[in-house]
Amino acid sequence: MKQAQTTNSAPPPILRAGSLVKYFYEPEKFQVLRNISFEVRKGEFLALVGKSGSGKSTLLYVLSTMDTDYEGQLEIDGIKLTGRSQNELAAFRNDHIGFVFQFHYLLPEFSVLENVMLPALKRKKLSRAEIQEKAYQHLTMLGLKDQALKRSDKLSGGQQQRVAIARALINDPAIIMGDEPTGNLDSKNSRVVFDIFRDLAAAGDQTIIAVTHDEDFAANCDRVLELSDGLLLK
Amino acid sequence: MMRLPVNSRIAQVYLVSKLKQTIIAVLGVTFGISMYVFMNSFMSGVNEAQNRLAFSTLAHVHIYNDRPADRSDLVSRAFPPGTIANVRNPKIIKYTDGIKNTQEIIHYLHQQPEVTAIAPEVNISVFFKNAGNKVNGTLSGVDVAAEDRLFNNTAMMVEGNWKELARRPDGIIVGIELAKNLSLKVDDNLNILTSDGVSRTYKVIGTFRSNLSSVDKAKAYLSITATRQLLAANQDYITDIQVNIVDFEKTKALVRRIAPIIPYKVESWQMANAQLEAGSNLRDVIAVAVSLTILIVAGFGIYNIMNMMITEKIREIAILKAMGFAGKDVRRIFLTQSIVIGLVGGVIGMALGWLVSDVVNHVPFNVAGLATLPMTYNPKDYILAFSFGLITTFVAGYLPSRKAARIDPVTIIRG
Repeated sequence: MKQAQTTNSAPPPILRAGSLVKYFYEPEKFQVLRNISFEVRKGEFLALVGKSGSGKSTLLYVLSTMDTDYEGQLEIDGIKLTGRSQNELAAFRNDHIGFVFQFHYLLPEFSVLENVMLPALKRKKLSRAEIQEKAYQHLTMLGLKDQALKRSDKLSGGQQQRVAIARALINDPAIIMGDEPTGNLDSKNSRVVFDIFRDLAAAGDQTIIAVTHDEDFAANCDRVLELSDGLLLK
Repeated sequence: MMRLPVNSRIAQVYLVSKLKQTIIAVLGVTFGISMYVFMNSFMSGVNEAQNRLAFSTLAHVHIYNDRPADRSDLVSRAFPPGTIANVRNPKIIKYTDGIKNTQEIIHYLHQQPEVTAIAPEVNISVFFKNAGNKVNGTLSGVDVAAEDRLFNNTAMMVEGNWKELARRPDGIIVGIELAKNLSLKVDDNLNILTSDGVSRTYKVIGTFRSNLSSVDKAKAYLSITATRQLLAANQDYITDIQVNIVDFEKTKALVRRIAPIIPYKVESWQMANAQLEAGSNLRDVIAVAVSLTILIVAGFGIYNIMNMMITEKIREIAILKAMGFAGKDVRRIFLTQSIVIGLVGGVIGMALGWLVSDVVNHVPFNVAGLATLPMTYNPKDYILAFSFGLITTFVAGYLPSRKAARIDPVTIIRG
């Protein structure tokens, strides 16, 4: 795929990981990631799979910029991220990365609308009215318009996960990262969430990287990266 | 719905959603600050009442002829050391009593800008006699109008009229306890016996109560002219000059300035009554210690509540960080909460402090001329209490918020 990409003179990769190596030191020194290199194209829907303990979640958190304790290089959207300060990385995540976790992790005391608006309010690129309008657009697209003013903890699990997706989308990130985004949902809701991701990737603007255990989910992705004992299998 | 900046909005939601905790934290600050206000108002009220009481008989600065230097060993001054001398039963020549050049000194004192009132006095030790009863005490010959300006004697009168003293060379005004001890009533006769053996009888024209029992038991007032006549002294003779100034705390500068020029002892009230100043300083220390202790306890309360809240919200903090909130945003969110707690608690605390002060100020307290417990309402106490409250909450909130800022989102989210 790498070769195909270069020969077709496709757009430059949105994410480039070079020789990523990471150790855990507790309870004893252990190499979780062994020299992992790969690239992700813009608009690609990528699944990271592997047995538990294979290092796939660890890899995702390194890619997410939240884990900075690694060796190797990480570049997203042409910006080199290795060696940057926590504050710079926080601002970078705000601008470029959206997160969807296994558990929705909404702020329960806030309304659905506010939860979606928070990252954009932090970014301060748009006015409050514009952010609100945009949040409504995303909620409408995800079929949650009627729930906008409810407290987020009053929604069902599937609805909350869709709110989390709306929140991940609010700043038009280059990449959406999911850590088992369907891991806590029934098959119907899993399907809904998968379809949303599928549509977003198909529209061509969003790149999606998701860690998953769900074979159906992985099977329908553009590409699957499998990890085993910290090594990338083809 | 969301007009606040995003960090403040999050702080607001956290404060409101944990209303009970917030109220407890606010109450801690409120209590600390109201106690600070109340304790300090009460203590300075007590100090003021005591000063008022003290200055009813005490002038700010007192000028008098001190005893002469020690003259028990004059030989060594006139002869070389080792001289053997045999002096038995030595007598010293009588030194000058009282103050000379009084007109000039009083004129000089009047030129000092801070001086508000000057009263010349002739004070002597006498026996008050009514038939067989004899009491030792002080007879004070006073300039009736000047004395009134310094000590407000008119207000101290129980019976009779203070001003009458100026018109009655035969009139005497006695302390209420002294009158009782000698079974005297107004219009009775009182015999005075001086140390020189002169005896003269005066008519009691009034009684006074100063609320200092040592004074009420052993003092009587005569007009200064009548006293000079009693002593057969000239019409310039005085023993003491009492001086009041604008601010009784600022005697030091005046004493330093006039002491080298006036050839007599110049003594401020602080020098003469160190215990008064010590007492009021100690009360201030107690007030500050008690109220600061309460504020610190309140601070620990806030520290605990903030720590608890951060533990509860640890996942949400991790998510905020994942979404791009920096450490300083998280710190600001939690610091904002404690500052709001400090501000709200401070404002309520000042109001409560005033209310408690006002209630206590109405408690009857009929001692030493007071009607109710004394209280001051000094804006400085309120401002200080508020500032201390804010500083305490800031420190108490800062430490947990720093902890929150350092939370590593990866370890929390991965569980």
